[in-house]
Amino acid sequence: MIEVQNVTVRFGGVVALDGVETQFANPVSGIIGPNGAGKTTLMNVVSGFVAAQNGQIVKDNQNLMGLAPYKRAHWGLRRSFQKEEIADDLTVAENVLVQVDHSTLTSAHKSKDVARVLEIVGMAEQADRPGARLNSFERRLTDVAKCLVGDPKLIMFDEPAGGLSVEETARLGDLILEIHARTGAQTLVIDHDVDLIARICSETLVLDFGRKIAFGPTAEVLSDPKVKAAYLGTEDI
Amino acid sequence: MLPKLFHITPSGAAGILFAAFAFFVVPTLAGSLWLSVFTSMGCFTLAIAGVAFMYARLGMVSLTQVGLMGVGGWVMLRLNHGFALPFEVNLVIAGLATMVLGWVLALPALRLRGLYLALVTLMAAGGLEIILSTFQFPNGGSGFWGVQTGSGAGFRRPALAQSPEAYLRYVVAMVTLAFLFIELHRRLAPGRAWALIRRSEAAAMAAGVNVTFYKAWAFGISGLLAGGAGALLAGSLGLLDGGTFRASESVMLFALAVVGGARFWLGAVIAAALFRVLPALLNNWGVDADLSFVIFGAGLLHAVITAPNGIAGQITEFFAGLSHKLSNKLGLVPSTVIEGSADD
Repeated sequence: MIEVQNVTVRFGGVVALDGVETQFANPVSGIIGPNGAGKTTLMNVVSGFVAAQNGQIVKDNQNLMGLAPYKRAHWGLRRSFQKEEIADDLTVAENVLVQVDHSTLTSAHKSKDVARVLEIVGMAEQADRPGARLNSFERRLTDVAKCLVGDPKLIMFDEPAGGLSVEETARLGDLILEIHARTGAQTLVIDHDVDLIARICSETLVLDFGRKIAFGPTAEVLSDPKVKAAYLGTEDI
Repeated sequence: MLPKLFHITPSGAAGILFAAFAFFVVPTLAGSLWLSVFTSMGCFTLAIAGVAFMYARLGMVSLTQVGLMGVGGWVMLRLNHGFALPFEVNLVIAGLATMVLGWVLALPALRLRGLYLALVTLMAAGGLEIILSTFQFPNGGSGFWGVQTGSGAGFRRPALAQSPEAYLRYVVAMVTLAFLFIELHRRLAPGRAWALIRRSEAAAMAAGVNVTFYKAWAFGISGLLAGGAGALLAGSLGLLDGGTFRASESVMLFALAVVGGARFWLGAVIAAALFRVLPALLNNWGVDADLSFVIFGAGLLHAVITAPNGIAGQITEFFAGLSHKLSNKLGLVPSTVIEGSADD
């Protein structure tokens, strides 16, 4: 259970998140909304990159707000960014290994774990290739492997399907759906691809101008007139 | 799956061969003037390795390096004239003291990047220049500063390296150890953390990297190398002068690190050769050594416009291409010198 409790973020006079409150209970949940709605800001609050003026983020009785960003990663928070953040001069395996470098496990354990997650995402063959020589989908898969390695408790993807083909998006969706069974982690996904959200997210939060305008089972949320209005700008609501 | 910690890359093999040449051959061929020039070049190779490592691994521009060399040299001279400790002990203490100072200077700078970091470090170098020029270097005098007028007391060189030839070998050995030390870091968790920090600090934090810690660590290593370089330079000359450690020299050192190729061990060697050997060569030919500044400027333009990896990058690419052609001709698997960008 991920509890977002009354989270408020202001950037000067702009209210980016206005008392957002919700509970994600399903293995894969979505966060959608038009540009500027506050989706990435919410993810940045959970990651610790943006300080909230008010509110708490609680997962499995752990309040994340008191932890530095890197300590949240040690705790089990994983996230990917809108642009894949893969170091060009590290190999695929090394890029994944960074995520567990802090761990007290032996090198053999870490190496085995890295091999396991690369196998899952289908990048085992490219384990020794430098990041600079990967295409964008391979970089995205490496990003997913980074999220799976170690003992993740909460994984967040920020527009993971951006720039991917239909086939690649489908493969990515399959991988995200497998995460809970493989790791036990809960996953939050932000994306503008409503088809992807509808397919993989059991429940979805909709933000608009920093406020929660809908939350519930994805199919219901997507057919909510308020959500359609927020996306399409319909005036007859 | 994961690369072995102990393996020799083509670039590493070339480095070992070069170090062996510098260790065994150069001291036997060089006259007294050139022994001094090459020893000085070795010391500056060490300092440039520090500044190049910061730039190549973290994208951080530190312009304090020559000032920190001065600090290392000061500590070495102070210890040499004040205590009867072996040279090696003094060298380690000088390196560690400079490393600590590097950390202290780094603390306010850790939140800065790019131009602002460069400016702050340059100001620190300016401060060190003033301090070193004002208080001068210990030469056997009494008191904390240890400065006396007239001729200074003698300097104790390492027991293993009393002659100029042996001291050059000693410096070559130290520089080789320093490169191995940097390479070891690059292959372990700090190297991976630095690569990710250079990519994006947010991504590094999301991967569990303590960015402040690893940046401070890098500053410390850079300071350690600068301090060691200054201490070795003090051992070479026996005395130091404040004019050697001007802040402007730090700017020059960084520029030459870019010209040489910050990502490569050879880049630091080329930069040090340009910095120390080229002016000596020009002097030897009866040409004004200031002409070297014109050559440095041309080299910098060349690096900025056509060779982002510096001269060393171009040399590496040339040999990689040659190896590729030869492999194709002989029907062998092509070399992966270029592909393995980790093999710097």
